Amino acid sequence: MLAQAADPYVVELERFHGPLDLLLHLIRKQDLDIFDIPIAHITAQFLQAIRQVDRLELERAGEFLEMAAVLVRIKAQLLFPRRTEEDEDDPRADLVRRLLEYEHFREAARALERAEAERLRRRAKGYVPPRPAPPQAAQPLETEWAELWTAALRLAERLAEPEPLHQVTTRAVRIEEKIELVLQRLAEVARYEFGSLVSPWGTRIHAVVSLLACLELAKRSHLALEQQRPFTTLWIRRPLELDDAA
Amino acid sequence: MRPSRIVEALLHASHAPLSAAELARADASLDEEVVERALAELRAEYAREERAVEVVEIGGGYQLLTRPEFAPYLQRFDSVPQSARLSGPALETLAIIAYRQPVGRAEVEEIRGVGAGGVLKTLLERELVEVVGRSEGLGRPLLYGTTRRFLEHFGFRSLDELPRPDELPVVLARSGAEVTSHG
Repeated sequence: MLAQAADPYVVELERFHGPLDLLLHLIRKQDLDIFDIPIAHITAQFLQAIRQVDRLELERAGEFLEMAAVLVRIKAQLLFPRRTEEDEDDPRADLVRRLLEYEHFREAARALERAEAERLRRRAKGYVPPRPAPPQAAQPLETEWAELWTAALRLAERLAEPEPLHQVTTRAVRIEEKIELVLQRLAEVARYEFGSLVSPWGTRIHAVVSLLACLELAKRSHLALEQQRPFTTLWIRRPLELDDAA
Repeated sequence: MRPSRIVEALLHASHAPLSAAELARADASLDEEVVERALAELRAEYAREERAVEVVEIGGGYQLLTRPEFAPYLQRFDSVPQSARLSGPALETLAIIAYRQPVGRAEVEEIRGVGAGGVLKTLLERELVEVVGRSEGLGRPLLYGTTRRFLEHFGFRSLDELPRPDELPVVLARSGAEVTSHG
């Protein structure tokens, strides 16, 4: 997929609805006389445009190659000096007829497209869905930073401060440690709740530093954060590429 | 009950266009002529009151549709974008079927220069085209035509409303009863 997208010729070819569409494009773009197509010139351009045709699926590739064969045959026929003045003898005649016929329908299709666009501006009863279905699948994070922050703080508040057995000085919570912990968990499970990172300690500072660690890792694309709606469960999961590779 | 109110109730409650004959079936006091008058009355009333909906003649019937200028407000509720627009190949195939119906798959493929199997399947599934018969030609291939759903999708009253760009030649005229076989 990625290799294809990087190749301009394949992308170009994909854009066309078929060999006639491509041929018509070449002729019209250069303002050539469709009744007097310079076959050698057009054939060369057509072959150039489809040189990556093997990247297309088999059926589509066959369609383009068939047209290439037609063009080459016409080109060969034109080389014979047995041309008369009669139109019927022009080996291009059938191709021209097909091109014009296709072009007419392409225009008709565009007219339909305009009618469709106009029609879609009017809506019937039932257009607006009864109620928005909650998204089921994992979705990319669409939460504002501020909301995320608030959610983390609320979580920290909800966690009961454990009864201190004896007085200790607050130990500094280092972000590097949390980063390690986050990644360690992620190596074990593909997806887990943010809350589970914090609960063993249950203090605000752990929640905040854990969040900072997650944000830092998300920035470096080591993980992805998910939240369906503000103030709901925050999920940590492996980034998509890693998931696919696994 | 005034006929225009009965017609309004039916149009309001219906998802799809209703024909004058269908509307007339609602009550013994109605016939198609009365229904047509009621529809005209409703139209005038909605226009006068600058209502957001209007009675539109579409797909061989009548339907309450929002006026086009409200499209921007409705757009953000589009939860099924899939239902909206057709692809380029689908439109081309539909154009050929619409103008040439009844028409076989071979002719569609000949005109477009590409296979039509996948696109035809999609169009059949979406009920925009249907099988309308078989050709007399070799192998008696299936012939396709457009449906009422097709008219609704494009906002046409009938096939006579198909857009006809000036450059469309005579050969694209509807063939009507004539069934041609394609080799």
